[in-house]
Amino acid sequence: MSHHDGSLGLLLLGPAGATALYWALYRYYRNTDKSHGFERETLVEAKPVTGTDEKVDEVKGTQETRIGGDNVHEYRKRVGRRPDG
Amino acid sequence: MSNSPKPPPLPPQYTGPGSPQDVPPAPGSSPIDPATLPGPIREELEAPDPVAIDTSAEELKDGLNRCPKCGATEIRQKPGTDLLICQFCRHEWHGERVEEQFGFGEGLEDLEGTVIASGARDIAADAASLMSFKCSGCGAEVTVNTENAMTARCHWCRHVFGVNEQVANGAVPDAVLPFHIKKDDAVARIRQFVDKRRLFALKEFKEQFTPENVSGVYLPYMIVDGNASADVAGHGEIETARYTRGSGDKKKTYYDADVYQVERHVDFTVDDLPLESSHERGNLDAKANTNNIINTILPFDTKNAVKWNASYLSGYSSEKRDLDVAQLRPRLEDQLLSIARAQVEDSVERYDRGVRWESEGLEVHGSRWVAMYLPVWLYSYHQPGRNGGMLHYIAVNGRTGETMGSIPVQQWKLIMTALTVGTFLEGIGLWILAH
Repeated sequence: MSHHDGSLGLLLLGPAGATALYWALYRYYRNTDKSHGFERETLVEAKPVTGTDEKVDEVKGTQETRIGGDNVHEYRKRVGRRPDG
Repeated sequence: MSNSPKPPPLPPQYTGPGSPQDVPPAPGSSPIDPATLPGPIREELEAPDPVAIDTSAEELKDGLNRCPKCGATEIRQKPGTDLLICQFCRHEWHGERVEEQFGFGEGLEDLEGTVIASGARDIAADAASLMSFKCSGCGAEVTVNTENAMTARCHWCRHVFGVNEQVANGAVPDAVLPFHIKKDDAVARIRQFVDKRRLFALKEFKEQFTPENVSGVYLPYMIVDGNASADVAGHGEIETARYTRGSGDKKKTYYDADVYQVERHVDFTVDDLPLESSHERGNLDAKANTNNIINTILPFDTKNAVKWNASYLSGYSSEKRDLDVAQLRPRLEDQLLSIARAQVEDSVERYDRGVRWESEGLEVHGSRWVAMYLPVWLYSYHQPGRNGGMLHYIAVNGRTGETMGSIPVQQWKLIMTALTVGTFLEGIGLWILAH
């Protein structure tokens, strides 16, 4: 299986490289991915973060390298808003 | 005509790439290592960017402005008064920094309710943008179109008018941040920015490129201070074991992890968050326009803004505010939530398999809104195409010199290059397979 994976990977090298280069250069010229990085460019004064961490479950033998739906770095992707605030 | 109050129109929706939905990459970062690319492309990528001054830099500390009469910068406060005096021509005028005058930088933690500065008040529905004045010099009627200018010259006696009193159409802000970057400097920055992007630029764009046509524009913003609390909750995972099963070709990696219910709370204040207060400029859909370019050159050293005086705008054009506080509030809350999520990021570092936030809540205890005109040098190029084509901007921050732009691309050239590189890579792949 992994032998096939390897050959498939090598066969995809061309299309993948072409696509990656196209988008990298396109963004370099058009800068469509840029916006004001207000999260780090605004003067924010925060009190120490408080919170709780409670172990609720265990996962055994998964092949995923990250938690499903990981959004810890995607500050701007809104998740369910609580009705109280 | 009915007098029933209409609900405010819905705030603009942002869905496109480059909208506030995507956290922008760190400045100077590149998704592909330039060292792996062919020489000419690498040279373009590695050429220096126009230098931008940090908003806290010494050069911007003064906040003062040239004497409106003689242009000298030898300006001192006249002892015992609120007047500024030009040491060169002895001209006196008001030029207070609003920060100190209204205490805008203070008491953020005690901010409660919605405080709206007089220039940020709701725009009257029937207010016209054309305003006429009686010339005090000769009595003629002079019209100022506040959509794009705040000063006009009486065509009879050459007397110059400025719209100084706050009017109901929202054209007069509380404060203005005067231009600091001169036109020559802006032209040089735009040239430097474009020189780094010539290889795949649209031929017509290169032929018609005349950065001397850059124009200075005062764009309308709301500068918001806020005092808020946010709660976020979700699940995080910590890896406890990693092992491989199978052998040879069938080898695979498996992980064990502990799952935690994670909750975080943070109280924070933000100082001078800028929001576009023009409906059109606030629409940052990068598929339809290049307003994200102008958004990127934020922030400004808004601490140095001075009280409104139309004479700062003579020689520049301006755009009028058309959004009220109520319409901008959803965007403020969205940005405050993003800031909160960025603030709690460090506290969940131990979840090495990441965190999936599932719910978030925000309570804005207080906010303070100040309407401000901010200085931007804009160069534009209209690329013809479907749906009216695309207007490409190159923008220079009129205070810090930060430069950003959208350069139209010669598609066939870019595609050919990508295909050539792809074919080369494919050749390597096939060669490895064959051996």
